[in-house]
Amino acid sequence: MNDEYLWDKSGEPDPEVQQLEQVLGTLRYQPKPLDLPENFRPARRNRYLPLLAIAATLALALLAGVLWLRARTESTPQKYNAVITQTAPSPVGSPEKKNEELPKVADNSIPTDQDRKVFAVNVRHRTRHSAPALSKTERAEAIEAKKELIVALRLASEKLNLAQRKANGPATPGQIRNQHKIG
Amino acid sequence: MFDLEATAEMLLMTAPVKASNERPTDDTPIEVVLVRASLEGDRDGFGRLYDLYAPMVHGILLSRGRRGEVDDLVPDIFLHAFTKLDTLRDWAAFGPWIAMIARNRAMDFHRRSKDTVEVTEDLRSTDTSTTKAEEILELIRGLPEAYRETLVLRLVEGMTGPEIAARTGLTPASVRVNLHRGMKQLREKLGFTENL
Repeated sequence: MNDEYLWDKSGEPDPEVQQLEQVLGTLRYQPKPLDLPENFRPARRNRYLPLLAIAATLALALLAGVLWLRARTESTPQKYNAVITQTAPSPVGSPEKKNEELPKVADNSIPTDQDRKVFAVNVRHRTRHSAPALSKTERAEAIEAKKELIVALRLASEKLNLAQRKANGPATPGQIRNQHKIG
Repeated sequence: MFDLEATAEMLLMTAPVKASNERPTDDTPIEVVLVRASLEGDRDGFGRLYDLYAPMVHGILLSRGRRGEVDDLVPDIFLHAFTKLDTLRDWAAFGPWIAMIARNRAMDFHRRSKDTVEVTEDLRSTDTSTTKAEEILELIRGLPEAYRETLVLRLVEGMTGPEIAARTGLTPASVRVNLHRGMKQLREKLGFTENL
């Protein structure tokens, strides 16, 4: 078998290969002209299209990040505000001011479905103590009653002190009060 | 076994293709020049590519399908390639690219027309030499893919080994091995048939 003839038709021809060439050559490609339709055009690829796609993706990612950060910073202080506004009103001050200082509970202090999904949020859950609303006269009466109560408490305290002194007897000179005798 | 060996050879021994779309020089392959011209709207340029590669495409199709189907498929493949020419990254690799299109198209066509039986070609081929040729071709089609494709290009299309390597993108060594082993197997098969 002559491999050179099979390889590049050089050297001594191989009769078997030649015979095969002769027989199979009848099936050889018969050249025909290619009819390209008029509307056929090879599409030109836009070289900048991939770069544009990358730039658009980056811009979208950046925008999404900014929006996310903004939403996060806006939602966090509202929770703290909700805690701060729940402080009880001080008893001193004008009635009008008292009314203004009544505890304001922000809407967002009520846990929503969205809040429940969050694992850790710095929100304290307090029981709500709302002061009863008083009219001017009621408030004046209450203050008077408080003063009377204070006077009564002072009187009771003085009487108790007097009773204690009598029980202990007159104080001797040099005796240190409130000291128990030893021996 | 032979199938696996041949396919591995075909895949692994493919010559490395260098991207040569830019910097045209005197050594620029003709394919690069013709593809560039075709992309710029030169229809004659693509016509020359067709003239150069139609025998190879015909051979690839013939090693997989019936003769009657092949003649109609060749121009179809080139028309498809023309519209997709912008997807070809390395213009010098036009041959391997269109060879792959032809293989895929032949596979699709074979899959679709599995149930149909062609009788027209057999009835038409009254010539004894053509009948013999069809018989031998059928034997070649029974060989592993890499061998049958190389053998058809060599024995039917009359291409030499170096030409087959240059057109298909396979290394010359791979083509040589495929030719040698394919011919050996074909001889063995022909030993069971009558004299040519």
